Amino acid sequence: MEITLIAEQLGRVGPLPITNTMLVSWMVTAVLAVFALLVGRNLKLVPAGMQNFAEFIIEAVYQMTEDIAQSRAKVFFPYLMTFFLFIITANWLGLLPGFGTIGVNEIHEGKEVFVPFFRSINSDLNMTLSLALISVILTHIFAVKYLGILDYLKRWVSLNPIFLFVGILEIVSEFTKVVSLSFRLFGNIFAGEIVLSTMAAIFAFVLPLPFYFLETIVGFVQAAVFMMLTLVFMSLLSEKHTE
Amino acid sequence: MDFLNDFGVKPVLLAAQAVNFFILLFILKKFLYKPILGMLEKRKGVIAESMKNAEEIEKKLQKISEEREEALRKAGKEAEEVIKEATQAAGQIINEAHVKAGEDIKKMIAKSEEAMKREREKLHQEVREEISNLVVLAMQKVTGKVIYGKDQKDLIDKSIKEL
Repeated sequence: MEITLIAEQLGRVGPLPITNTMLVSWMVTAVLAVFALLVGRNLKLVPAGMQNFAEFIIEAVYQMTEDIAQSRAKVFFPYLMTFFLFIITANWLGLLPGFGTIGVNEIHEGKEVFVPFFRSINSDLNMTLSLALISVILTHIFAVKYLGILDYLKRWVSLNPIFLFVGILEIVSEFTKVVSLSFRLFGNIFAGEIVLSTMAAIFAFVLPLPFYFLETIVGFVQAAVFMMLTLVFMSLLSEKHTE
Repeated sequence: MDFLNDFGVKPVLLAAQAVNFFILLFILKKFLYKPILGMLEKRKGVIAESMKNAEEIEKKLQKISEEREEALRKAGKEAEEVIKEATQAAGQIINEAHVKAGEDIKKMIAKSEEAMKREREKLHQEVREEISNLVVLAMQKVTGKVIYGKDQKDLIDKSIKEL
């Protein structure tokens, strides 16, 4: 079994190539949507079962958002929560049996290659880069919203040469954010996939089990890290500057 | 940007994933976050209210028990007063009755004494008359003559004195 950097393409709808990660991404969306509908449909004042679980997660994240972003928590929260839920569901769904193992052999460029139907979403840079771009672009949108366009621009451009230089550095750091967010997530999950498949190739029974535990933790940690970094970036950039 | 090609990054896939993300965001926001945050807020309100109610109920209970104690104390005091008054009134009535009875008895005794005195007087008179008549009669028998006028009177007086 070989894991490629590029997600395998299953088909094509018009201009949109359907990769296996894209397919799983829709599955994750469907799973979360069904969960939301099941839980959100009949909420009770005295919670039970799934509602307890959902309330626990949402309250914990909301509390954290409020601690860091204060009054802006209400606006930031849905994005952060969705990042977290989407990434953690994707990571854990990617650990299920069948991921990377069920597929077909296809002739590709004269060679026979194995094309799995399912692949962990975040082991495809397209997915993580997309999330990172959304995160950073949202950060800037919120900054403009809370600071006003003038104060926002003052962050990057200044007549003072020192501040101008600092501004340029800041602009560079904004691009770094995209790179760090996307590659951190991609690297962790992709590495996990490789470790798991390597272990499975050595001995498929029991041996990969500790690494599955590890990947479960990594899946949670990466989701939390992505969410928290986004939260910190958002609240830092939309904070009023006091000079 | 060549390295992005090595990772298979395609703008259309980025866009597709972004669309996917926003669809998910919309669904979760509408069906999960808003209702649950609303529910949490509502529950907070309900709990706060019920705690406030419980406090109020306790306060009311305390007030009621205090009032009851006060009422009991007041009633006891009133009862005591009523009993005291009643005892006083009864004592007075008894006293009055005693006094009146004493007076009545005294009056009756006086009246009866007077009546007895009068009776005795009358008896005396009658006896005296009777005796004088008897004396006169006896004199007549002894002297053999009827005494009239001054003699009779003298005689009677004399005999009465000697009686």
